[in-house]
Amino acid sequence: MWDDRFEQILRPFLPFLPPQEELTPETDLKDLGLDSLGTVQLLGTLEETYQLRFRDSALTMDTFRTAGVLWDTVQSMLQSTAS
Amino acid sequence: MAHDTALVFPGMGPVPFAEAGRFMVANPFARDLVAVADETLGYSLVDAFRTSPGDYSQAAQVAFFVNCLACAYWARDHLGVTPDIVAGPSFGEKAAIAYTGALELPDAIRLTADIARCLEEYFAEEHKDIVTLSFVRAPRDGLDAILAELAEAGEWHEISCHIDDGFHMVSLPEHRVAWMEERLRAIGSLPLYTMRPPMHASAFRPLRDKAEREVVSRYSFADPELPVVADQDGRLLHTGEELRTMLLDGFDHPMNWPSVTTALKEAGARRLCVAGPDSLFGRVPCATRNFDVVAAQPRLAMTPRRRSRAA
Repeated sequence: MWDDRFEQILRPFLPFLPPQEELTPETDLKDLGLDSLGTVQLLGTLEETYQLRFRDSALTMDTFRTAGVLWDTVQSMLQSTAS
Repeated sequence: MAHDTALVFPGMGPVPFAEAGRFMVANPFARDLVAVADETLGYSLVDAFRTSPGDYSQAAQVAFFVNCLACAYWARDHLGVTPDIVAGPSFGEKAAIAYTGALELPDAIRLTADIARCLEEYFAEEHKDIVTLSFVRAPRDGLDAILAELAEAGEWHEISCHIDDGFHMVSLPEHRVAWMEERLRAIGSLPLYTMRPPMHASAFRPLRDKAEREVVSRYSFADPELPVVADQDGRLLHTGEELRTMLLDGFDHPMNWPSVTTALKEAGARRLCVAGPDSLFGRVPCATRNFDVVAAQPRLAMTPRRRSRAA
């Protein structure tokens, strides 16, 4: 599962997710209101917070399909940065 | 003279009937405009919008036009938006022309419907393989290198829209999209989506000619009641003839949104009301950094508001 910061960053981009409702790894982020511009802003926020730079295969809309896929991408970049 | 409040009619994106249908039948401003559209077109706009396939059907285009105008009138009455200057990037040109009185409403509805027909007819026969790809975070030198590669390979392409720093839309053959997306990712850019019909490219000059011959030439454009900013280059337009030229230029000239926001700022605008379904123009940094943006969307207009009671 993701760290607290990740969910804090993600939730404001999901206008259709009530505050008390759980965010699951499988939920489709588009269904929760993440649109194209939101995706772009979320990308910038994640890069700034985690000091990352999304590149190449990470830069697809599929990366932002679900919270689980997005967190896996962030985590794999964090790991490759650390190694 | 300072133009404190700018009214912007957004370019068109896909708006499913489920998102706009209720607004069209329940909002009093929309209902009145829909009634005019029904009479002008000779069919029920709401029914046609509900049953027409595709995001850019004739009914979807007229519905978008009507909904943008309805949002502007709603914003006037409920948010106190009294504009001093108007702009309409891309599809929004038509609503800007109607709002400023350059065309009477029935004429603007007919023009919108007939231009939609022209687009459908033209792209059914021409440029069948051309789409418009949008992407963000593309540094200009990196983008130029990719476009040079395309040119070297003999592939036609043009920048159709400049939305913000690093945010462009490029028209190109569909079979090159996957290649282009891969090259964009390599320079740190995020490809967003492709659109068809494509728009705003010099190769579409025959479409401009067709629209002028079959549609635009039938109307005389009055001088607008408010200045209008041209979405191609940010010029301030004051005459009906200039609006006609802007409308025609929209077919074969690229759209440049930063030139519009720059012009609005230079004209003194501090508040920018985007009237209509918008997920783009009011949200990019060149708008949010320069203006107090008011998003007058159908969803907001449908949100119950507390009425102030008379004493």
